[in-house]
Amino acid sequence: MSTPTNTDRPRAATLYESAKKIYPREIKGRFESLSTLATNVLLGLFYLVPWLLWDGRQAFLFDLPARKFYLLGLTLWPQDFPYLALLLMIAALSLFFFTALAGRLWCGFACPQTVWAEAFIWMEQITEGTRSQRMKLDKAPWNWNKLRRKGSKQFLWITFSLWTGFTFVGYFMPIRQLGLDIVALGVGGWTLFWGLFYGFATYGNAGYMREQVCKYMCPYARFQSAMFDKDTLIISYDEGRGEPRGGRKRSVDRKKEKLGDCIDCTLCVQVCPTGIDIRDGLQYECIACAACIDACDSIMDKMDYPRGLVRFTTENALDGRKARLLRPRVFIYATLLLVLTSGLITSMVTRTPIILDVIRDRNSLYRELSGDLIENIYTLKIINQSNEPRSFRLSVAGVTGLSLDGVPDEIVVAGGGVLSLPVRARTQRDNAYGIMNITFAVTAIDDESIVMIEDSRFLGPTP
Amino acid sequence: MVSEEYRGARKWSRNKQAVATVVWISFLTAAVATMLFFALLDPLELLAAFDPDLDIGRQAGYAAGFFFFWVITAGCSAVTAWLVRTAPKRDTKHR
Repeated sequence: MSTPTNTDRPRAATLYESAKKIYPREIKGRFESLSTLATNVLLGLFYLVPWLLWDGRQAFLFDLPARKFYLLGLTLWPQDFPYLALLLMIAALSLFFFTALAGRLWCGFACPQTVWAEAFIWMEQITEGTRSQRMKLDKAPWNWNKLRRKGSKQFLWITFSLWTGFTFVGYFMPIRQLGLDIVALGVGGWTLFWGLFYGFATYGNAGYMREQVCKYMCPYARFQSAMFDKDTLIISYDEGRGEPRGGRKRSVDRKKEKLGDCIDCTLCVQVCPTGIDIRDGLQYECIACAACIDACDSIMDKMDYPRGLVRFTTENALDGRKARLLRPRVFIYATLLLVLTSGLITSMVTRTPIILDVIRDRNSLYRELSGDLIENIYTLKIINQSNEPRSFRLSVAGVTGLSLDGVPDEIVVAGGGVLSLPVRARTQRDNAYGIMNITFAVTAIDDESIVMIEDSRFLGPTP
Repeated sequence: MVSEEYRGARKWSRNKQAVATVVWISFLTAAVATMLFFALLDPLELLAAFDPDLDIGRQAGYAAGFFFFWVITAGCSAVTAWLVRTAPKRDTKHR
């Protein structure tokens, strides 16, 4: 009797199409080095950045509990929301721009899904071995060797996932304190939840779902074709050169045998992380990881054929037409990108480190005081966006003889602090008539060039 | 010929596909909605407006907001997916 394998056991869910696991074969080559580099740099940044310090505090901290974002020396407030919106727009446009230019560069080299999957596949390789070893191991009955290999893989995966979750949360609360809290078993419930949530998502997505995420769940995979044209870089098999394909000995003269350059070794299919055959043409499953290029080049080298049977090329180039790099869409995306980026940088550089809000007291229009004075009441909110305490001077203008009562000459606001200041503005009755526009100005005492002006209204009697 | 082992690889059933798509896309939309919503509103102020005695803190406020959005977006996606899939088939024989 043969040992039962997955295939001769009755399937529990017959509705499901046969679910074959992809065992991507490892390959060495130019693009593999590039993608390893990208993986290392991107993951390195992700795990390292929360540990960086700037002026004694975390350099990049999105402090949600305190509603403040720290980016190096900069502190952003909820009021700085337009920056975030601009940043998101720039990110989207960059994606369009690079897609139009170089196809799915994002998918193959920069997408977190790919990057983490690469890391997980690497861990799978060091514990379970090469592609054929992994396939054999999965078919083998459970024994000590299988348990040991699978167990160490799971150990690596889970440890890595937990560390990923911890790092993720470390972007939102001080990571050093978080580490100490974990050691002392004093982590808050929500913190723990988000850490485990992100860790588990990484484990599931990069360990098990892998290419399924790209094929079934990724919206970008579906709409990226809208950004493609005939001059976009794609990975393609040169059909004219490769066909008719067929196996042959190295010594065979392919011209005489009327064979193309493709020896049908299927290596390009074996290395594909999404399990497609690139020789069938451009498919939406292709994430442009270029593993098939490396695989084919290695075979072409062995056969002494020129490289590039599978290569980065454009549809126009394949058809023998002239490839154009600068097309209207590239130009438009680039211009928009330039405008938005320079806008963001300019507004960040010229940003005043004070925010002033003026709220007029709604309960009374005005008050008449003895001595023929008219008084209006306001509440001022002064936010000091720098990290050090700062002294300000408050002034008001717009109505003759208008003066402020109960305001100190020097208003001190703590670094990153919000000060709520009740203010009474008064003037002689002769000067106040109906609705008049006034302006409040807050000036930093240490730097007169830092001024924030806010408009408001002064109400007087209408006889 | 490429052997069957390589070709076609793993395929998800339609149900699995639908569930994964609904969950994932609604997750993304809910994340964006949460970000926009809480960039403009402080959960503490919101809570204070509803029930001043309720003091659950900002983090719980963010989480509650996120799951609130996720339930809504997932519900919306799920109903849409279900309606599209269960719509009557177009009769191609009699035009």
